[in-house]
Amino acid sequence: MKQFTKTALLLAMLFVTAAATAQYTVTGAVKSESGEPLIGVSIIVKGTTSGTVTDFAGEFSLNVESSPASLLFSYTGFKSKVVEVTSSNRNVSVALEEDIANLEEIVVTGLASGIKRSNLANAVATVSGKELTEVTTQQTVDGALYGKLPGVNIVQSNGAPGGGIALRLRGVSSLSGNNQPLFIIDGVYITNAEIPSGLRFASGANSGSEEGASNRLADLNPEDIESIEVLKGASAAAIYGTRANAGVVIITTKQGAAGKTKVNFEQDLGVNVIQNYVGRRDYTAAQVEETYDADERAKFEAAQAAGEVFDYEKEIYGNTGFITDSRLSVSGGSDKTTFYFNTSYRDEGGIIENTGFDRFSLRLNVDHRISDKFRIGINSNYINSFASRSFTGNENEGGLSYGYNLAFTRDWVNLFPDELGNYPDNPNAAGNPIFVRDQTKNEERNNRFLSGANMEFNAYQSDNLVVKFVGNAGVDFLLNETFVYVPETHQAQRGRDNGFIGVGKNKVFNYNYQAFGIIDYFSPGGLNLNTQVGVTYLNFDRNFVLDRSTQLISQQTNLQSSGAQVVEQRIELEEEFGIVLQEQANWDDKIIATVGARFDKSSLNGDPNKLFAFPRASLAVNIANFDFWSSSLVNQWKLRVAYGETGSSATFGSLYTSLLRTNVAGNVGAAIALNDGNLGRPDLEPETSQELEFGTDLTLFNNKLGVELTYYIRNVENLLYFFDLPASTGYDNEIRNDFDLQNRGLEVSLNINPVNVPNFNWNSTVNFWFNRSEVTRLGVQPFVPEGVAFGLGLGSFYIEQGQPVTQLKGSSAEGPVTIGDVEPDFQLGWYNEIKIARNIDFNFLAHWKQGGDVLNLSRLLTDIGNNTPREFDNLTGFIEDASYFRLREVGLYYTLPKFSNTLQRLRLGVSGRNILTLTDYSSYDPETSTKGGTGLSTGIEVAPFPSARQFYFHIGMQF
Amino acid sequence: MKNIISILTCAMLLMLTACSIDEVTDPNGVQLATLLENAEIGDLNALVNGTEARMRRSWDVYVTSTGSVSRELYLFDADPRNTEDLLGKEGASLDNNTFYLTAPYTTRYQTVLNCNILLRALENTPEGSAAQKDGYRGFANTIKALMFLQELARLNTNGIRVDVADPENLGPILSKDAAYDAILDLLNTAYGQLQGAEFAFQLSSGFDNFDTPETFAQFNRAIAARAAIYAERYDQVQGFLDDSFLDDHSALDLGPKHVFSTASGDFLNPMFKAPQQSGDQIIVHDSIVNNIREDDARISKFRLRNNPTSQDDLNGDYELAIYESSTSPISILRNEELILIAAEANIQTGKLPDAVNYLNIIRNAYGLGNYTGPETEEALTDEMLYHRTYSFFAEGHRMFDLRRYGLLNSTFLPIDREGDQVFTEFPLPLSEQ
Repeated sequence: MKQFTKTALLLAMLFVTAAATAQYTVTGAVKSESGEPLIGVSIIVKGTTSGTVTDFAGEFSLNVESSPASLLFSYTGFKSKVVEVTSSNRNVSVALEEDIANLEEIVVTGLASGIKRSNLANAVATVSGKELTEVTTQQTVDGALYGKLPGVNIVQSNGAPGGGIALRLRGVSSLSGNNQPLFIIDGVYITNAEIPSGLRFASGANSGSEEGASNRLADLNPEDIESIEVLKGASAAAIYGTRANAGVVIITTKQGAAGKTKVNFEQDLGVNVIQNYVGRRDYTAAQVEETYDADERAKFEAAQAAGEVFDYEKEIYGNTGFITDSRLSVSGGSDKTTFYFNTSYRDEGGIIENTGFDRFSLRLNVDHRISDKFRIGINSNYINSFASRSFTGNENEGGLSYGYNLAFTRDWVNLFPDELGNYPDNPNAAGNPIFVRDQTKNEERNNRFLSGANMEFNAYQSDNLVVKFVGNAGVDFLLNETFVYVPETHQAQRGRDNGFIGVGKNKVFNYNYQAFGIIDYFSPGGLNLNTQVGVTYLNFDRNFVLDRSTQLISQQTNLQSSGAQVVEQRIELEEEFGIVLQEQANWDDKIIATVGARFDKSSLNGDPNKLFAFPRASLAVNIANFDFWSSSLVNQWKLRVAYGETGSSATFGSLYTSLLRTNVAGNVGAAIALNDGNLGRPDLEPETSQELEFGTDLTLFNNKLGVELTYYIRNVENLLYFFDLPASTGYDNEIRNDFDLQNRGLEVSLNINPVNVPNFNWNSTVNFWFNRSEVTRLGVQPFVPEGVAFGLGLGSFYIEQGQPVTQLKGSSAEGPVTIGDVEPDFQLGWYNEIKIARNIDFNFLAHWKQGGDVLNLSRLLTDIGNNTPREFDNLTGFIEDASYFRLREVGLYYTLPKFSNTLQRLRLGVSGRNILTLTDYSSYDPETSTKGGTGLSTGIEVAPFPSARQFYFHIGMQF
Repeated sequence: MKNIISILTCAMLLMLTACSIDEVTDPNGVQLATLLENAEIGDLNALVNGTEARMRRSWDVYVTSTGSVSRELYLFDADPRNTEDLLGKEGASLDNNTFYLTAPYTTRYQTVLNCNILLRALENTPEGSAAQKDGYRGFANTIKALMFLQELARLNTNGIRVDVADPENLGPILSKDAAYDAILDLLNTAYGQLQGAEFAFQLSSGFDNFDTPETFAQFNRAIAARAAIYAERYDQVQGFLDDSFLDDHSALDLGPKHVFSTASGDFLNPMFKAPQQSGDQIIVHDSIVNNIREDDARISKFRLRNNPTSQDDLNGDYELAIYESSTSPISILRNEELILIAAEANIQTGKLPDAVNYLNIIRNAYGLGNYTGPETEEALTDEMLYHRTYSFFAEGHRMFDLRRYGLLNSTFLPIDREGDQVFTEFPLPLSEQ
């Protein structure tokens, strides 16, 4: 989007029809400090709309009417500069300085416009494509954000390759709906759904959220990304209205630049290995007898004698998964047309044999200027991804989940197949994990097409008025196909269901469009008024079909080769329409004030045509830009305050009370849903969030130190939540809204350039943040929310007025008692870029999470199965402190001196992720969620897919 | 210039007004509002079938929860609460919000809800004759009463709610006595409605022989007899039995059943576990196996395991072998129970020779020959309870039978682990408090 607005700006400037009175022509050249000509630098005569851009040689020529006049030079990634010209001094040579503090960066805040970071009234976190992928190769886009943004909490719910990540911006914002932010890529509202495969029907897991599905952001190739902007709360995201309660993530993909065509080829080779083993309980013969009995001791001794005592944890999780990632990009263009093309293929093996992820991605972004006034851009992306995730997490007697069954498996029982390939039954658990690893399947294939078109029309331009129309439209089409296969020979299948096949065909089709009119007025006094009026529309159509077969014919994997089939279908249709109004006043970059409102209606609301208003207002004051300010120490000092409101409608289906199909030996009937039979409410309105955010930004010492401080208070009102009805009603729950929640937090960001000497430059960013929540109103008695844990007996989230929404409680004789809180005390991310000489780059990212508890139910299972390592015998209860310090990303690259004219650049490197973790947590990873990414879910562990550590070798070539 | 702006403004205004969002009707199910306002015969029949389908759900949990408490079986599966909470391990108590309580409770009341929707739909439907409507009502009220009875037996002195027709305005929780009154009243109402009624619906094959208003009414009376026994209102029992399908000469297994199939949307007999399966198995309590009399044919209900099983310091050599396959039916109420109800009522009302006659039917059926012991109330009660133990092993009776005779305690029942407790009733679910 940054590129988009930049281009827009250029075009606005380019075709100025300045009146020809008393004018003179200024010519000149613009270069970087190192002397390279800068192409496309925007030059504007301050106080007017007339301007131009530099050409391929970095040169420009511009007609100026008044003498003297101030020319403003601005260019992405560089600090702006004002140069005085007069009719006698009409030839200028300008050198722009690189913008370390990113003050000039254009940040997208409205739906149709951006604003310079230095004028921004919100703390909008931005990650550039460089920060995203320069250190090491990223598996998924959300995974790449870890520790890089203040106020963003990321939890990996599943360590399997191919995603499974929950992103939380400034705490929990919804109980019933999605806490995942809205994702918009190049103006297209994309789906980030976790689509369950239905494996729960074989494993006995309680719900689709326990299936460990990946979230569909995994389809996006991180390499394609130019920048990611995160609107964390309502004050920044208000203009996105009724879908923005959990924040908005705006992803802009790369565009070509006019000039020589660049060809980049990059190849990574790497490995996945387990981060750490929990270990198994070691036994002597005597201990076996003590734990079990003499018979078991005899078995143990026989196994010992035969050398058949195994370590099944290493057997299952000890695989080394190979990773290859190849990327080819071609970009370039002429003055009218630019393009960016990228094709990539990533193939990644997991730490469990037969698990893995591969993704083929093809992208073409084209931008074309049709005429002086009309520009059009098209971004298209095709993705084919595949994941094999096998079985992990919670289950009930399915005999599939590795961790679950390993907890009960005894290491002295031989579970390996005999010479004929027959796998023994596991006498102590519901399944043999070796059998599961070798013989079962849990796969998904995604075919996805994402495309967006945007246009810009400069309708009118005069000296002090610009009128533009911008619009875009986009589609996200996803066909997700899942396949789960458990052979009839599996011990939990034999004799009952006799095998399981689940085939899901899940279609997601989203389309959206928006159209805006923008009027820019420049007054002679340096005041710029920007008015936007627009409409947006979105339409989501989801159609999920799951076919399940049991009673399989031996060795058949086709749905129809079975004795019993079940078909399920779920259709969800959502339609939304919004009107946006926004007015922004900028007085000479000194005071910037914005007011705006969005009015939304949605088919998810009780009255689909009732408009709900979401206002916003913000003020930024750049004190250092006032004339009285003359400190050379402080380069920039901004005070800012912003307020905004957003909403979130109830999830699809909340309006209805419906009966579902039943069957008794062929007699079809109807009854309330067996699980989660909701008493719908036909008059629902969206839950809303109001956020007040204030802070200050300072840059000091010639921009060598930047500080951003932000404090926010975010009130979520009328939270929609499912509340247990007395079971005697026959309904599980009703949806209510008498619930308010407050999140407050502090975000601090430091940008430091401690060393900048020839041949050594070190840039460092420290992000520090924390969030605190409190339930401020609750119209019912304290309660255990639906589907977030496994009951108070084992420990659960517990909603209680005056307490954090993330608290965990457990049963006791005196009633529920607090046992923990999953909210971290604070988090700290430390990102470093060190450049040595001209060819060595050393980057690393460290992440410290302090506090935050995890309910480790994996250990409950190993306790029952007598498999908890003896070192943890002293642990009481299952709540553990999940603090950790982790070296997330480290990369070291060497760029070879230029030795050929064809090969412009050759770069070699090594990198790794999750290299080192320091934690007292007793299981695989202190970051965990057995219930997936939605709702109040993180911080409960049941037999997860262990997290991996990765090492890479990279080679990159530019032609 | 002005023109362009006004044209585009007009276009935008047009889009604004043109964009009216349509209300979406639920594409995934039958909306309740439609049923209540304008149900057709097909809808009413779907509700009947849905009722029959739902009452089968969680029956396994009903049996294993009450069976664990009364030490007739253990459920060895991945959930530790089956061997911890239910047996009162180390001071554990029955939780008021855990599946062993809530799963059967919820499904019983979901069945009641379906019946109540059916009853409300009948008030507004333009279809069906008066006799047909009475048929639906007789069915719905009988099933409701059975559901109430099943939960009241578990919750006992905690009482249950009977008036649940309006979810926004539930009736009170009735005491045990009042609840039995209400259940018997409801059964009588249904019995009245079934007289002269007509069934416009078709039940599953599980209700073969009980699928007409006349025969369904016999089932209604059988339930009333069970309710009277549970309520210890022994003097009322004979009257109910007279109009039930009690028959000295019919097969013991005569009676309606829950059937299961592999049809789409149906499910398999949840009590069936593959023979010798490890990891998830219903294990017969050793005391049940040890106390069965020699020659008692009911020993066929237990299967010796190839590998004895242990979990959580509990052991067992035998597994449940009542059901042959995953589609074997589960009896709801059968002649065998009516015979033992008759025996019990006769013991309690002092007609001991009649009681012996009934007991002998059962004894002979299982190869034990006629009763030769003392004909005292105490001895015959023991004899009757012995038969109930083995005739209804793992069918969800033992907890209530023992409780009725003051035997649901750690004096009578074996305690497997030090500190284990015997509970006498389930708590009121958290959601009801």
